[in-house]
Amino acid sequence: MELKAVKDAADHVTKKQKLCSSKCQEAIEQIGQEIEQALLKLQSTDASTSYPDHKAILADLKTKLKDMANVSQLESSQKELNGPLSKYPKQLEKSFNPDISKAYRNVDFDIHTINEIIASHLYREGLFEVGDCFANEAGEEEATALKSPFIEMYHIHQAMKSRDLEPALKWASANCEKLKQSGSDLELKLHRLQYVEILQNQGRDEALKYARTFLSPFASSHMAEIQKLMACLLWAGKLDASPYSDLLAPINWEKLGDEFTRQFCNLLGQSFESPLGVSVAAGVEGLPTLLKLMNVMMGKKQEWQSMKQLPVPIELDKEFQFHTIFVCPVSRDQATEENPPMLMSCGHVLCKQSITKLSKSSTKTFKCPYCPTEIEATHCRRLFF
Amino acid sequence: MEIDPLPNGNTATENAAARPASDAVASLAAAAKAAAPALKVSHLSDSLKLEHQFLRVPFEHYKKTIRANHRSVEKEVSAVISAVDSSSSSDFSRDDAVSHLSSLVSRLQGLKRKLEEGSRVENLQAQRCRARLDHLESADADNLSEWSNTRLKRILVDYMLRMSYYESAAKLAETSNIQDLVDIDVFHEARRVIEALQNKEVAPALAWCADNRSRLKKSKSKFEFQLRLQEFVELVRADNNMRAILYARKYLAPWGAIHMKELQRVLATLAFKSGTECATYKVLFEVKQWDNLVDLFKQEFYRLYGMTLEPLLNIYLQAGLSALKTPFCYEDDCPKDDPLSQESFRKLAASLPFSKQQHSKLVCYITKELMDTENPPMVLPNGYVYSTKALEEMARRNNGKITCPRTGVVCNYSDLAKAYIS
Ligand SMILES: [Zn+2]
Repeated sequence: MELKAVKDAADHVTKKQKLCSSKCQEAIEQIGQEIEQALLKLQSTDASTSYPDHKAILADLKTKLKDMANVSQLESSQKELNGPLSKYPKQLEKSFNPDISKAYRNVDFDIHTINEIIASHLYREGLFEVGDCFANEAGEEEATALKSPFIEMYHIHQAMKSRDLEPALKWASANCEKLKQSGSDLELKLHRLQYVEILQNQGRDEALKYARTFLSPFASSHMAEIQKLMACLLWAGKLDASPYSDLLAPINWEKLGDEFTRQFCNLLGQSFESPLGVSVAAGVEGLPTLLKLMNVMMGKKQEWQSMKQLPVPIELDKEFQFHTIFVCPVSRDQATEENPPMLMSCGHVLCKQSITKLSKSSTKTFKCPYCPTEIEATHCRRLFF
Repeated sequence: MEIDPLPNGNTATENAAARPASDAVASLAAAAKAAAPALKVSHLSDSLKLEHQFLRVPFEHYKKTIRANHRSVEKEVSAVISAVDSSSSSDFSRDDAVSHLSSLVSRLQGLKRKLEEGSRVENLQAQRCRARLDHLESADADNLSEWSNTRLKRILVDYMLRMSYYESAAKLAETSNIQDLVDIDVFHEARRVIEALQNKEVAPALAWCADNRSRLKKSKSKFEFQLRLQEFVELVRADNNMRAILYARKYLAPWGAIHMKELQRVLATLAFKSGTECATYKVLFEVKQWDNLVDLFKQEFYRLYGMTLEPLLNIYLQAGLSALKTPFCYEDDCPKDDPLSQESFRKLAASLPFSKQQHSKLVCYITKELMDTENPPMVLPNGYVYSTKALEEMARRNNGKITCPRTGVVCNYSDLAKAYIS
């Protein structure tokens, strides 16, 4: 994004502000000097001598101050500052979207629900103290229920970051059945990393001992993997020069840390990414489109408030696609149970209703709208995504 | 990408040979990461345009300080000058004149200190405006996830401040080291007024109005009028009728020209008293009028600083949930990764529109990855569709055999057909 114009406008304000305050300083300085000089003159006059003397000094001071250029400059320098001060916000309005609430629907967003979501977000981010403070201030005491599982997750993950796998292994073996059910091989991956650590730091004998105890149960289910790990024994102490050096890559630790977090959240019934983070990120991506839409819908605010479906599609990144959606390229209808997607013999896919329509217009076969193939309606197959 | 040093005595030399291999892995991962945000970077510039408030608020604060400093300097200087004026025309003795001028000198010294402090604050605020510009400029593909994470925290602090969860806001800002990127000090000003209104005191609110008179007038704000009305109602409630009438003459009458109807309605309470059952007047005596004043103040405050009237969090959540909302989110098999699989998010999204889908998006049942031209969909003989990646992997592990995970049907990889989705 081009910020130069905004930056220039900001610099201009700062420059004038500094100038203005130094002018102020000068003016005060000078007034002070004049008064002090008058004071000196006064003090040097003899108290007993004539009264008009000090009157004259005061009158003199008065005219001096009146004629002082600095005082009138005070006003003019402030006036010079006015220009940049009003220009900067105008520049901001030009370079940015001045009102991002234009597409906001005036619906009651339940405060209690939002607060609950925020509290669990803070806990899952490991911000336990902030989370407690928030739960207390917002009066969401029951939100603290999520705290202790996330504390456990955070501790285990922290330990992994400092290369201590014990807590993670303990957790994995305690939840071994559940992990298996969800198709995770986290336990094996943890043992593999531990085994490599031992092989690298404690030598072959210890590694072999470890493998017999902890890797052998996986021998039948992960034959190839275990064979490879056992072959590593030949390179004890010089694994870095072996064909298996990638086992030492630090990224393995990072990846396994993520994998652990994913599985832990999964067993908690939570997603890996914070749902609040995902929703807000989707909002940041989607909002520009909505704001553009509102420019077109000006004057139809009422309609907007009651719409059941957005009138325009919002293109989000891959990471926000959670559902399979099939839109028939001919009718633009979304597939349903009654109007399912059908595979034609050429490999192109249309919704059933579109195929029915196309086949009615010709007697037996019809031409695929996307390729020259002649299609027989009865040979189309229903697809399940 | 940062590569952690290896602890446990794995010295750099021992590890040196491993470096090329691990570097290769790291750079592969980095390349994969870089490919993904390509689309994101295109969204980035659009999303930065949403940050108006982020730059506007510190600027308004800065401007306010400049104006206030200048006003006080001007006032003091002209006070000193007119003090000199009056002394020259008075019958001061010499000693009187000496002590008079000495007091002016020390007054100027005080002003000088004040000015120095004032410009120190101005400079800090200028720096803050600058820091925010720099922060916006620092967003790029390499730090996008961290930058977005900070953005979420900024949005949360904004929410906390607007909800008066001041301690949480300060804690979150401090632990995340984003104090320059949030507006905690701006909200100090609001806090004083809000807490006073909650205690049924209007003085700080009136002072705030006086401070911002010209801007409030420009936006045709009714806030001060409402405050005056409330004070009047309180006098009537206390049965202080004479004072109420005097008050009305002094503070309400000037608003007569623009708000006559409301003025009359409130003045009529004199006849009805606080025990009235008449609905039109009863409502004026309700305690919730004070809550309304708090809400009204917040609106004026947000407007003055160029903030959105709704918390940023609500705005982004609404947009995000609308964009994510599909009828499939409400089915039992909605995946956990979808925020709308959770009851609380479904509740928030209940009154929002569904997204519109113009193109097919096929998510592989096995890998949960999007199927596209790089990872096209393949059809099993039973019509079930999975991604090429998932099926290739399955075939590789099972000697070319494919088992449909949803129906258990077994077939050969060679039995699969391609599907073209446009
Ligand atoms: Zn075709």
